[in-house]
Amino acid sequence: MVDVSKHELVPEHTVVDEDVIDAVLEEYDIDRTDLPKIKYNDPALPEDAEVGDVIEIVRNSRTADRAIIYRLVVD
Amino acid sequence: MRNSTPKDIGAIDFGLMEPEEYRDMSATKIITADTYDDDGFPIDMGLMDPRLGVIDPGLECKTCGKHSGSCNGHFGHIELAAPVIHVGFTKLIRRLLRGTCRDCSRLLLTEDEREEFHAQIDQSRKLGRDLNDVTKAAIRQARKNDQCPFCGEVQYDIEHEKPTTYYEVQQVLTSEYSQRIAGAMQGNEEEGIERTTPDELAEKTDIELSRINEILSGSFRPREAQRKAIEKALSIDLTDEDTNKLMPSDIRDWFENIPDEDIEVLGIDAERSRPEWMILTVLPVPPVTARPSITLDNGQRSEDDLTHKLVDIIRINQRFMENREAGAPQLIIEDLWELLQYHVTTFMDNEISGTPPARHRSGRPLKTLSQRLKGKEGRFRGSLSGKRVNFSARTVISPDPTLSLNEVGVPDRVATEMTQTMLVTERNVEQAKQYVANGPNSHPGANYVRRPDGRRLKVTEKNCKALAGMTDEEETAGIQTVGPGWEVNRHLIDGDIVIFNRQPSLHRMSIMAHEVVVMPYKTFRLNTVVCPPYNADFDGDEMNMHALQNEEARAEARVLMRVQEQILSPRFGGNIIGAIQDHISGTYLLTHENPRFNETQALDLLRATRIDELPEPSGIDDEGVPFWTGRDVFSELLPDDLTLEFISESGDTVVIEDGQHVEGTIDSEGVGEFGGEIVDQITKEYGTTRARIFINEISTLAMRAIMHFGFSIGIDDETIPDEASARIDETIQEANDRVNELIEAYERGELESLPGRTLAETLEMKIMQTLARARENAGDIAEEHFDDDNPAIVMAESGARGGMLNLTQMAGCVGQQAVRGERINRGYEDRTLSHYQKNDLSAEAHGFVENSYTGGLTPREFFFHAMGGREGLVDTAVRTSKSGYLQRRLINALSELEAQYDGTVRDTSDTIVQFEFGEDGTSPVMVSSGVDHDIDVEGIADRILDGEFESEAEREEFLGSKQPPTNLSEHADSRRVDSVPEVTSDD
Ligand SMILES: [Mg+2]
Ligand SMILES: [Zn+2]
Ligand SMILES: [Zn+2]
Repeated sequence: MVDVSKHELVPEHTVVDEDVIDAVLEEYDIDRTDLPKIKYNDPALPEDAEVGDVIEIVRNSRTADRAIIYRLVVD
Repeated sequence: MRNSTPKDIGAIDFGLMEPEEYRDMSATKIITADTYDDDGFPIDMGLMDPRLGVIDPGLECKTCGKHSGSCNGHFGHIELAAPVIHVGFTKLIRRLLRGTCRDCSRLLLTEDEREEFHAQIDQSRKLGRDLNDVTKAAIRQARKNDQCPFCGEVQYDIEHEKPTTYYEVQQVLTSEYSQRIAGAMQGNEEEGIERTTPDELAEKTDIELSRINEILSGSFRPREAQRKAIEKALSIDLTDEDTNKLMPSDIRDWFENIPDEDIEVLGIDAERSRPEWMILTVLPVPPVTARPSITLDNGQRSEDDLTHKLVDIIRINQRFMENREAGAPQLIIEDLWELLQYHVTTFMDNEISGTPPARHRSGRPLKTLSQRLKGKEGRFRGSLSGKRVNFSARTVISPDPTLSLNEVGVPDRVATEMTQTMLVTERNVEQAKQYVANGPNSHPGANYVRRPDGRRLKVTEKNCKALAGMTDEEETAGIQTVGPGWEVNRHLIDGDIVIFNRQPSLHRMSIMAHEVVVMPYKTFRLNTVVCPPYNADFDGDEMNMHALQNEEARAEARVLMRVQEQILSPRFGGNIIGAIQDHISGTYLLTHENPRFNETQALDLLRATRIDELPEPSGIDDEGVPFWTGRDVFSELLPDDLTLEFISESGDTVVIEDGQHVEGTIDSEGVGEFGGEIVDQITKEYGTTRARIFINEISTLAMRAIMHFGFSIGIDDETIPDEASARIDETIQEANDRVNELIEAYERGELESLPGRTLAETLEMKIMQTLARARENAGDIAEEHFDDDNPAIVMAESGARGGMLNLTQMAGCVGQQAVRGERINRGYEDRTLSHYQKNDLSAEAHGFVENSYTGGLTPREFFFHAMGGREGLVDTAVRTSKSGYLQRRLINALSELEAQYDGTVRDTSDTIVQFEFGEDGTSPVMVSSGVDHDIDVEGIADRILDGEFESEAEREEFLGSKQPPTNLSEHADSRRVDSVPEVTSDD
């Protein structure tokens, strides 16, 4: 089986710590459920991701170098 | 009324309405189906009862006391003789019937299951998902329970017969059970089923033999378990369906008993919506204002469709009551009940499948409630989203190169029709009086005035002088005259800002703000450089104009929407407005060979620009006369410190140093409409105003240049010498021979197939290749004979219009015609036309056009050419409709997204869609375009340092906020000559 998370076009997905999440939620003044979502069965998710976790995705950007996106894991 | 403050909608709740609420809001009960009495007065408690509102002007509403126009009307109500089902809720009713107990009405879920679904609903609500998914799953789960977990009652299947009938289906033992069992025990030899003896059956089913015999004789009805055992043993069905119709009153009783906490699991808020309210016992009667009757020319009244429908309902309702009181048989009562249900159903929706629509006497189906709302012409899409708008105009467009790209020529007859509201103050009272005095028909006039007391007066030829206070009569006649505090609706005048639009409005630049220039004749005029953003041409295109009606809108349009603010496209970050077509040919002629001009000619080239003094001559010719080169003339339009280098469309390197064009050809790469380097650079570094001036001037200079040289194209420009034609014929003949060789090789079976292709495909490919090469060669031969100043060559090389292909098709050979990417293969059986042998594979027989457009096509070639051309037309037609629909879907999906002040993009429920707009937080139009060159960080830093170190005072100014001098009307620009010399006297 191909592990898509290793593919060069798939950006890095990591599970974020609670305190980082709290800071993010505070910065944007939102609830956890207002975050964009990612499906639990998404092949790009790291092994240890659970439903309810928040995932940080770091993408390369031509203009901004790096773009950071947070997503809530849902089933 | 006029100055009422707008109110914010805090929240909208949707729920069901309680019958008691219908009665509370009802102005009167309606009991009679009659509308008017013999004298034409509305009957009390009839459908036109005056308490339901007024439509006749002059009458007073009996409920609120207001007159027609200000009274919105009031609902009445009909007490239904028997409950009926509301068609809008049939699916929900079915679900509730299936999911709740037929006896105790509780939801058929255990406590645990209930908790589970409750939690799921809360979760879904938080995540903003569709609650339906959860509630559907809950019902599915509940249906699985055959027995009520609370009272133990056995549950039956509910069948729904559309639209409004529900049955309980029970499986009961058929009365012919003994015959069926005996029949099955006989066996069937044909199908290979063996006989079963009673002994065997007894053994298989664990039923005593005596019982089996009793069952077979029909003297004992098998119990359920026994029935199932026998059914299994003989694989037969011993049941019959017994259906039991559920009357609306039964359903209502059933629903009344559902506890509140049970329906909450189904996502229903019991506070707001009790399920029994889905069964109507009271019918609200819409106010007469929602169903006005009209008086026909012959004095007869004609009632609205809704009124007709209500008449039917009341009639049936009355008959129902009379019959019931008279003790009519159940069958008749049920028929009437069904009839009442039908009328109430069609009152709400008259387009239900399976139900005949209620019709008018003439046979036309009635337009009832949901027909008023549905569809393109319905209330939502027709009346609310898509209203016809005031202060708009539409006419044909035509070009006017003397206008600035910011301007639009408005016909005087449009300008005198559309107005701007002018608030009269002490400072503009004289102007205002002049407008009014001019009256409604002479151009800078006025159509209406509003007095400080709010009265609106029409300005007419007769009263205009008096209103303006320019006669002696007004004092005696008691006419008030225009003064401070009045409002004057004056005509559009030069410099007014309006919105201009061409459909299909596919991108931001389809709607831009222009400044008015009032002109004679009947068309809107626009500068040709704004054709690309609108995708407009002048073959009969029409465009719309909207006059803005308040200061805020005008300011917003001027700052955000003016054409010059749209020079850079948000799609790719480059300029979308720039020189087009003849402008490009013009700059090419001006700069390609760098021709010389004498003083008069040079001044003539620059006469429509701001330049009114020529620079030092470029040189002195042999006769001692000074001359100016084309590039030096062009340089006059550039900003003084512009430095730039790029490769032009014609392939040479363009060098611009300190505002001097040193070398290279200025063509579409330099000043063109899609990413012209110079326009792009000027817009980004010198601002939109400078860019607007540059584009205006470059287009006028180019027009002068092309007129100086003269530019035309004719048939002789595409004609090649006989010798060249002969060579082309030769090339094509060779190709034909080669094709024939290929065909022969194929027929002999000597052709080798390419990998992954069949032989036939290989042959086709090789033929296509050969013929394509032949066309290219023919083109090359033709091209050799054209000079560099051939107009078609100039246009192709500069990127103004057309390409080399067009030229070679005109002069050399048109080439292979294709349908679906293949040579033409369709038509008759095994051949394209009856002129050819069957299975003729030659070039000629499959649409190869040997001739050129100038030489002329043979009839057969012409036909093949038409086939290829048709495909292109069909393709575009299909593509536009497809992409239009896709666009609509996309826009509807994205329309509620908004970039917020914190840089995020969110939807209306504040859910984040992007953490930074576009993931980089930058606007494409503010970023250097083109991937090939990096951002010139050093250049930017240099400029900043220069500004910082020149002097302390300047540095102060640099650090202080300085407003860019943009967004003033071009008509106001002349007053700012001193402050911003560069922005001033264009066109
Ligand atoms: Mg057109
Ligand atoms: Zn009223
Ligand atoms: Zn029960």
